[in-house]
Amino acid sequence: MPPRNAARLYPLVLLLLAFVAFPLYWMASTSLKPQTEVFRVPPTFVPETWTLRHYVELFWLTDFGLLFVNSLKVCLVSTGLALVVGSLGAYALARFRVRGKEAYGRLVLLAYMFPGALLVIPLLLLFRQLGLTNSHLGLSLAYLTFAVPFVMWVMRDFFASVPVDLEEAALIDGASRLGALWDVVLPQAVPGLIATGIFAFLFAWNEYLFALILISDESLRTLPPGMMRFVSTTDTNWGLIMAASTLATLPMALAFGLIQRYLVTGLGAGGVKG
Amino acid sequence: MANVRIERLHKEFRGAGGIVHALADLTLDIADGEFISLVGPSGCGKTTALRIIAGLETPTSGRILFDGRDITRLEPRDRNIAMVFQSYALYPHMTVRQNLEYGLRKRGAPRDERARKVAAIAAMLRIEPMLDRRPLQLSGGQRQRVALGRALIRDPEVFLLDEPLSNLDAKLRVHMRAELAALHQKVRTTMVYVTHDQLEAMTLSDRIVVMNHGVMQQVGRPEEIYSRPANRFVAEFIGTPSMNMIEGQVRTEAGRPLFTGPGITVVLPRDAPQALPSSGRATLGIRPEHVSLVAPDAPGAIPARVTVSELAGPERFHFVAVEGGSIIVRTPAATVLHPGETVALGFDPDRLHLFDGTGEDAPALR
Repeated sequence: MPPRNAARLYPLVLLLLAFVAFPLYWMASTSLKPQTEVFRVPPTFVPETWTLRHYVELFWLTDFGLLFVNSLKVCLVSTGLALVVGSLGAYALARFRVRGKEAYGRLVLLAYMFPGALLVIPLLLLFRQLGLTNSHLGLSLAYLTFAVPFVMWVMRDFFASVPVDLEEAALIDGASRLGALWDVVLPQAVPGLIATGIFAFLFAWNEYLFALILISDESLRTLPPGMMRFVSTTDTNWGLIMAASTLATLPMALAFGLIQRYLVTGLGAGGVKG
Repeated sequence: MANVRIERLHKEFRGAGGIVHALADLTLDIADGEFISLVGPSGCGKTTALRIIAGLETPTSGRILFDGRDITRLEPRDRNIAMVFQSYALYPHMTVRQNLEYGLRKRGAPRDERARKVAAIAAMLRIEPMLDRRPLQLSGGQRQRVALGRALIRDPEVFLLDEPLSNLDAKLRVHMRAELAALHQKVRTTMVYVTHDQLEAMTLSDRIVVMNHGVMQQVGRPEEIYSRPANRFVAEFIGTPSMNMIEGQVRTEAGRPLFTGPGITVVLPRDAPQALPSSGRATLGIRPEHVSLVAPDAPGAIPARVTVSELAGPERFHFVAVEGGSIIVRTPAATVLHPGETVALGFDPDRLHLFDGTGEDAPALR
């Protein structure tokens, strides 16, 4: 698109940006206001009094640190597993001549679209038998129900866009199938792995329902259900919730900022490379 | 180095449109150190044959032997072959050096051996200044050299090349063709070369295999293929411009075989094929360089009218219309003809090709 037309789009972009960014700004600014200013009418858009009290309370009076570490553990494990399992599956779907491959590919998409709310009770019953409730590994495995189909669906196009010649050259040069995948195909698919990895991580990081139902031990709680305890029947500490939310958002925002470049090539490359 | 024996090779592909026979009953012996080309139009099975030798495809039936060892079921990495791809298939995330030594690394060669071989190959192919660059920073010719180097560095028993020159521009292609020929002189490894360009096949090969529809049409030395094509397909495929083909009848008159086509009567030489087609239908073939311009009253002169004249450097191609169609005549550049001009053609009687019938695969009569 010529720059002249692009300039005309800026107002629209700004409007959209305001729509998306304002809640984030409101969250951050609320977390920095004292409790009395939080409820003031009319509201203050820029805090009159700046305070870090909510952040201090968060670490001294709640187990935010523990929740954060728990979340990090579960999300890292589930993302790692999803990338390994999903990539291998996607590679097979992209490359091998298998009977019913297309049908299987569509089933993967269906599995991804299946609502989690319908899965959680059967999963709970199953996990109880297997002793996987109240376990970070169990929760990570539960997250694979949506993370693996997602990785498979996206990485399949990525692998399909890597020229077959490269792999065949590696096979002739003395690599095994897995060796060729590791040495030659995966390095081409790094942008895709980063993009899908981030999304898989994000889904898990924000996930509430599975975390609430599969984990009942307070010391094992993850962030989303853990933060709900800041809401009580008598009092909701908005400053505290906003401080926790800000800190929970921060790592993701940072990650997106750092890998933005990959993300754009990544999501674009799968479908229309070259 | 090794000789290669291809034994009754069949390959079928099952697709939505039913079974496709990519390769039918290919048997071929390739001598140790020989440069052999598989040539034919796209879809003729040449690439399938190469991929089966490489181990990238499994044949439906048949065997491949290197020096008598059956390698049909071996993985590509267990065959000690090297291959150059049409797209070069250089690993884009590795430097030229890493590309070159990847195969050695995979076979566990120690560091000093790798360094020594990379240096030797780089010197031979004149790519030393580019060793630390990535493939994307190289020109087409340089990439081509790196691809050759990556194949050569492992001292393979058999060297497979799949249309390695077709991505280069015309000038570079001629240059790399000469380099490739010199390279084969130097390393003397068995080379199997796939191309759709008959000129490449003619200039490079010890022997040529012409293929069509998965079937081997003829195998022989380039001059043999050119001067004694086994059937009409080979005759038309090899040579530019193509051999002129005239369809007509053959009969014997006063003890001499006679070919008659639309507006053309040609007395065939005495040693012309004794066994004439029973149907009487035949195709007469003659290469453009064996058609000459003669005086209109010369015996057997064929009247024709010039339609187009093309100058191709040292020579000219004249497209002339005869009663039954169009004929191409090749002359020195000094022979100037103008469109519309009337000329008379004479066929060199010793260079006539006669094919039994008029089909694409009509066999040559000898």
